[in-house]
Amino acid sequence: MNRSRWTRTLFASGAALAVAVSATGCGGGSTEASSPTGDASFWTLQDPTNTVQQAGIDAFNETGDGTVTLDAVPSDGYLDKLRVSMGSGQAPDMFFSWGGGPMREYAEADRIVDIASLPGAENLADQFLPSVLQAGSSDDGTVFGIPCRGTQPVFLFYNKQVFADAGVEPPTTMSDLQDLVGTFQDRGITPIALAGESSSSWTELMWLSYLTDRIGGPEVFQRIESGEEDAWRDPAVLQAAETIQDLVDSGAFGTNFGSVGYGAGGSSTLVSSGQAAMQLMGSWEYAVQQEASADFAANGLGYVPFPAVEGGAGDPDNIVGNPTNYVSVTSGAPSQTAADYLETLTSDEYVQGLVDLGEVPVTANAEEALASAPNPDYARFQFDLVANAPTFTQSWDQALGFEIATPMLAALQELFNGQQTPEQFVDTVAAI
Amino acid sequence: MRRPNYLAGLGSLIWLAVIAVPLYAVIATAFRPSSQYVDDGPLALPSQFTLDNFATVLAGNFPRYVGNTLFVAAATVVVVLVLAVPVAYSVVRGGGRSSSRIFRLFLLGLAIPAQAVIIPVFLIINRLGLYDTYWAVILPTAAFALPVSVLVLAGGMRDINAELFEAIELDGASPGRALWHLVIPLSRSSIATVAVFTALNAWNGFLFPLILTQSAETRMVTLGIYDYIGQYQVNPPQVFAAILLSAVPILAIYLFARRSLVAGLAGAGGK
Amino acid sequence: MTSLTAARAGRRSAERRADPSQGRPGVLWALPGLLFFGIFAIVPMVGVLYLSFTDWDGLNVPSLIGLDNWTEFFSDSTVLSSTVVTFVLLIGNLVAQTIAAVLLGAWSAGPQRNRAILSSIFFIPLVLSIAAAAVMWRQLLDPNFGVPSKLEWLFGDGNLLGTQTGAIACLIAVGSWQYIPFHALLYQGAARAIPRSLYEAAEIDGAGRYRQFRAITLPQLRNTMVTSMTFMIVGGLTAFEIVLVLTNGGPGSDTTILPFLMYREAFQSYNMGYASTIAVLLLVLSTAVSLVLVRLTGYDRMKSTLEGV
Repeated sequence: MNRSRWTRTLFASGAALAVAVSATGCGGGSTEASSPTGDASFWTLQDPTNTVQQAGIDAFNETGDGTVTLDAVPSDGYLDKLRVSMGSGQAPDMFFSWGGGPMREYAEADRIVDIASLPGAENLADQFLPSVLQAGSSDDGTVFGIPCRGTQPVFLFYNKQVFADAGVEPPTTMSDLQDLVGTFQDRGITPIALAGESSSSWTELMWLSYLTDRIGGPEVFQRIESGEEDAWRDPAVLQAAETIQDLVDSGAFGTNFGSVGYGAGGSSTLVSSGQAAMQLMGSWEYAVQQEASADFAANGLGYVPFPAVEGGAGDPDNIVGNPTNYVSVTSGAPSQTAADYLETLTSDEYVQGLVDLGEVPVTANAEEALASAPNPDYARFQFDLVANAPTFTQSWDQALGFEIATPMLAALQELFNGQQTPEQFVDTVAAI
Repeated sequence: MRRPNYLAGLGSLIWLAVIAVPLYAVIATAFRPSSQYVDDGPLALPSQFTLDNFATVLAGNFPRYVGNTLFVAAATVVVVLVLAVPVAYSVVRGGGRSSSRIFRLFLLGLAIPAQAVIIPVFLIINRLGLYDTYWAVILPTAAFALPVSVLVLAGGMRDINAELFEAIELDGASPGRALWHLVIPLSRSSIATVAVFTALNAWNGFLFPLILTQSAETRMVTLGIYDYIGQYQVNPPQVFAAILLSAVPILAIYLFARRSLVAGLAGAGGK
Repeated sequence: MTSLTAARAGRRSAERRADPSQGRPGVLWALPGLLFFGIFAIVPMVGVLYLSFTDWDGLNVPSLIGLDNWTEFFSDSTVLSSTVVTFVLLIGNLVAQTIAAVLLGAWSAGPQRNRAILSSIFFIPLVLSIAAAAVMWRQLLDPNFGVPSKLEWLFGDGNLLGTQTGAIACLIAVGSWQYIPFHALLYQGAARAIPRSLYEAAEIDGAGRYRQFRAITLPQLRNTMVTSMTFMIVGGLTAFEIVLVLTNGGPGSDTTILPFLMYREAFQSYNMGYASTIAVLLLVLSTAVSLVLVRLTGYDRMKSTLEGV
């Protein structure tokens, strides 16, 4: 029930649009012995995508050979609820998750199965963009989750009017960004809106993740994630922390970001009202701005990839964020029915359904469908970002799980607030 | 005639500001279009009046949360009264050592904070298969309301004239009859106090709903309000409208049961 | 009406003779309540101690691991810093709320008409649940769009939650805002019960207002103070709603008080066993405080003091 996780979860699943989605009951799943075909329960997150899922399931159920029942579970504390049900022996046959640490925990406990071991699903994973599969896989690359939603990369949003008034272009390198800090400060505008209040500290993590990736490449975090000794002591982490300190000291985030919350609407309103120029945020930010003002979202909100760091080892095409959401199959589920259902997640109808809702699907065949998206340019921008990304690093807190993420976020917040030096920050996180 | 107490007057004015300024901000904002809030801020004089924020809140899940909470509060009151009245009766009229031991046990129970035992309570609720049901909130809330309720009820019953008890007992009435015809009618005011306080506790409860429920089907008002902080792009006017709506039932209790409520509270220090 | 009937019935039956032991409620009457209270309060109290010797992730069955949690507990610097923050907040709240509540209670107990009217405004925070009040303040404290942005002379750049001092001050302020009315109500009731004759006698002796307050009002409020402070201390040791909503334990871990630490360990990190050690500490601390205060004032006084609640 971590707020940052909740918040992330909610925004990431496009729940900004889900204000009035009707509730569905959520009964227990079946635990009967596994026969290859049969009735399978499927727990998913309650959000606007449910209609697309239900349509796909209705079509699937007509073809015979077992049926799937969709249980749309409200988003608050979804993972906790899933955890309780997995522990209580009332586990669903299939479930939706964000991959990463929590999903891997189920894999290690043998509660979920290798997707390739399902009958006829040996090559199913090949139909998705490669960069999004990693978060749905174990450390050795075994796929335990099949993508079922759109992708949510993180990138830089900006207020077009504010940039036009200052006569400047959005940054492509870190030194551009540092120059812009001075430009906007002179104009009395906060260069970068940042929600640095404790329950929003995951927004600060985006800066650390991107800077570490740009400076040292994705391998740095991969080592951290697999728990390698001294992985946090990689010089790239320290340099990223130093860059953050420089940005803070130069006033890039203003002075009161420590009291601004993302959930409270503080940072996004700063950008839309022109009091701040930029914000680093996930792709759901568009929906958030649209909720407040459709006009600003469509015409005033610009977006560019995170800038490159000169001399950094990381590919500037790498991205950070939520690669996508995944369906996992629990052990004991009817394997043939599950495999057949997972196959439908790559169908043209399912992909088109996601696109119509404004999502950006991660199947290789999604490209044509994007032309009919509600905002084709924005959808296309995201798809290209993901398709061209050599690596898509999952949000660190989700990849690492709460136990590590909570003290890490606390230390990071202290770095931003100037309570820890970059060296102290590295010492703190290395000791976790 | 005493001279007026200027110091106290100044103090009360400061406190008035501390109370009234935020309340003004909340009320004024709740009736203000959200676009205006960003431009004017919370303290501006309202220039446009709208009920839209309330309409939006009422069109969402909020009424259902209110319904959930009303049901839970009512059920908790019933559970507490059904259990606490006989306990208090037995403590007051039972006599003997066991009665006073029971009383002392409940007295010590006052010192057990719910937060400190929430982990085992979570385990118990899970084992009972009650997780994410109304009962997950009703049962622990009622249990932790029992000690205070027993104290209040026993206090009230002690005030009943002993002769009345002796008379009805001599009359050969069973304890059940005595309870129904003598104790309950004469304990109405302490029963009312217990009911009001238990209902308030249930209405304001946060910990048990936070940990023992998940879904919108069982969500309480307090959690519904808490969700506003994380859930959507927050719209302060709507949040404030929801907060004001959440206070309406309590305000009603204050208006209708203020006398017994304040008397009960005042009794706490006065005896 | 009913009492009248009962009284009449009583008088009539008193004239008859019957077995005196008959008609008294036995212990059996208390049994359902006892059992119920046992399951949800006494059993968990023992259970939390048991769980503190186990490793439990909320997913599998708790398994006994001996003293491991406790060894970790005593070497955990987070526990130490959380304890310090807990007591800083506790004492801050205790001082701020007691002073304000005593003054407000004594003031509002006065017979003046304007006081009655103002009192009804003063006690308005009572109608808000603590969750609602905390959410309200979270919104109002936004540095760019909330109250601080309009009162720059008072709040500067409004970075109230971004520093430890600021965050602690906010927590005390919001807690006080919410709880002072309740405690003031306690004091008001007690102050009204002070016999007028005491003040009249003091006035004849020529005691001024301040002396009267110090020599009569304060001593007479002593029992109420114990009650009120017990509530504050036990509440302060165990409640974390305001922290959860307002600061989420931050900035960093600067306002991570013990109950919040316990909540996070138990229900976010799923270290249920380790969280239980913190819960045991809280249980011991708050029970000890209650018992000491009960001793201090005497068992019977505590009993009668709480009867009206």
